[in-house]
Amino acid sequence: MSKTKKQATSPIRSGVSQHKQAFTHSLMHLWQNPISTWITLAAIAIALSLPAGLYILLGNLKTLTDDNREVPTISLYIKQNITEQQAQDRAELLSELKDIENVKLVRREDGLRHMQQIAGVQDIIDTVGGNPLPHVLVVTPKMSLFGDSGVDLESLALRLKNYSEVDTVQMDIEWVQRLRAILHIAERVVLVVAFLLGLTVLLVVGNTIRLNIENRREEIEVTRLVGATTAYIRRPFLYGGLWYGLFGGAMSLVIVHSSLLFMIAPVNRLAELYGSHYSVSGLGVSVTLIILFCSSLLGLFGAWLAMAQHLRKKHLMQES
Amino acid sequence: MIELQDVSKKYPTGQIALYNVNLRLQQGEMAFLTGHSGAGKSTLLKLIALLDRPTQGKVLIDGFDISQLKQNQVANYRRSIGVIFQDHHLLSDRTIFDNVALPLMISGMRPADIERRVHAALDKVNLMSKEKDYPMMLSAGEKQRIGIARAVVNKPSIILADEPTGNLDPGLASDIMQTFQQFNELGATILIASHDQPLIERMGKRIIALQKVKGR
Ligand SMILES: Nc1ncnc2c1ncn2[C@@H]1O[C@H](COP(=O)(O)OP(=O)(O)OP(=O)(O)O)[C@@H](O)[C@H]1O
Ligand SMILES: [Mg+2]
Repeated sequence: MSKTKKQATSPIRSGVSQHKQAFTHSLMHLWQNPISTWITLAAIAIALSLPAGLYILLGNLKTLTDDNREVPTISLYIKQNITEQQAQDRAELLSELKDIENVKLVRREDGLRHMQQIAGVQDIIDTVGGNPLPHVLVVTPKMSLFGDSGVDLESLALRLKNYSEVDTVQMDIEWVQRLRAILHIAERVVLVVAFLLGLTVLLVVGNTIRLNIENRREEIEVTRLVGATTAYIRRPFLYGGLWYGLFGGAMSLVIVHSSLLFMIAPVNRLAELYGSHYSVSGLGVSVTLIILFCSSLLGLFGAWLAMAQHLRKKHLMQES
Repeated sequence: MIELQDVSKKYPTGQIALYNVNLRLQQGEMAFLTGHSGAGKSTLLKLIALLDRPTQGKVLIDGFDISQLKQNQVANYRRSIGVIFQDHHLLSDRTIFDNVALPLMISGMRPADIERRVHAALDKVNLMSKEKDYPMMLSAGEKQRIGIARAVVNKPSIILADEPTGNLDPGLASDIMQTFQQFNELGATILIASHDQPLIERMGKRIIALQKVKGR
């Protein structure tokens, strides 16, 4: 048999040219079957759009709640007998703590001036005589709404209350904790949805490739008869799966971003009503790349599963 | 050299297609395989082409038992032989050129080399003008010849043909046989299954007659 091997083709070059073949043939195959290609791509794109859209929504909620005005603060009312300098020193010491973002001193004079702007308050102040307000330290804890920052606001408040300068502690954080809990659940929901719809993509691609295999059974048989290896037979289908995943992913990005464009105007109007300069953010570059990468991988894997099933069936038939 | 040692083939249906066949074909020999329909001609060729495996006995090529070949070696082996199928097995959605080029594409040959080889093969079967056509545009005889071109394009040292003249008129049939004879003169070992008795006898080559196995 050694006499029959006379090709001088180098294995590397032949490998490259075989990949080129599979690459172009698989693309051509998609092009030549536009209807089934578009249907498959649309199914993949829609399946991927939902988790991507939810992700954007969540990301926007996050930035919205990261807005400075919305971050919870703890107000420390300083005892009346403490001087401004002492309060200032305490503020500086507190801001060194690792779970505190910053501390701002609101002097009683500033507080008063602020109050006087509110209609009717001036009269009350006049009746009281003198400035009834204490110095206030406004503490911003270090925390993010996403994930667990490890900051326990309750215990932080308790610790702050223990300082001798502090009279009372007031925090208005219940809503933040609720929102955090909700966002936490939402994050999980996005994960679960992404997982399930990723599975859907896998099944869609797997089934499409299975049909392709079915349609090209004759071609597969003939190429096998004239000496194609399993790898050679499998390759164009794997590329096919890769294209489905990649193009489906790209299409989902288009869907998500056009829906986003559709929503920007009303969201901005809402933000304006609240006097915010909030702007809607889309998917970042890295998330875009991750989506394309994952969808390509899902497509490839779906095709691989379909091919494995075909080869196993084939094998069983030969064995029997 | 092709050698069959006590080869039997029983299909899963229980049909015994071959029973205790012993056969030896020398390197560069050309021979004909005859027998009534159902005698097992196609089965025997399939065993040599490793498209199926014997239930008993061995098929040796150059002294090597081909049942020992591993999966990817099987593909390699198939590429080293040329097979012409009874129902030519052309791909309907590819041009004649692409059909003939298939074994070379599988080997990953350079496009320029592929073109040269395909043209040479098409020239041998006199169908150069049809390279851009599709199989369904060809007559039965032309399809058969394309099948031959595809089988020889890889310059195999063994050519197996199953009824290559089955659909052809007598004039074309003997043309095809001349083509095989030319390949044989270039050194290929050739085994042709056919029941066209007069044609075979005219060729003056060795004739191997198979007899149908009685019963089951
Ligand atoms: N895949 C198969 N499964 C079951 N039985 C088969 C199979 N292929 C062939 N046979 C049986 O084996 C026997 C030999 O068949 P084979 O095709 O080898 O005959 P043949 O000599 O080529 O006939 P023909 O001249 O009609 O082509 C027949 O009885 C046939 O029915
Ligand atoms: Mg037959």
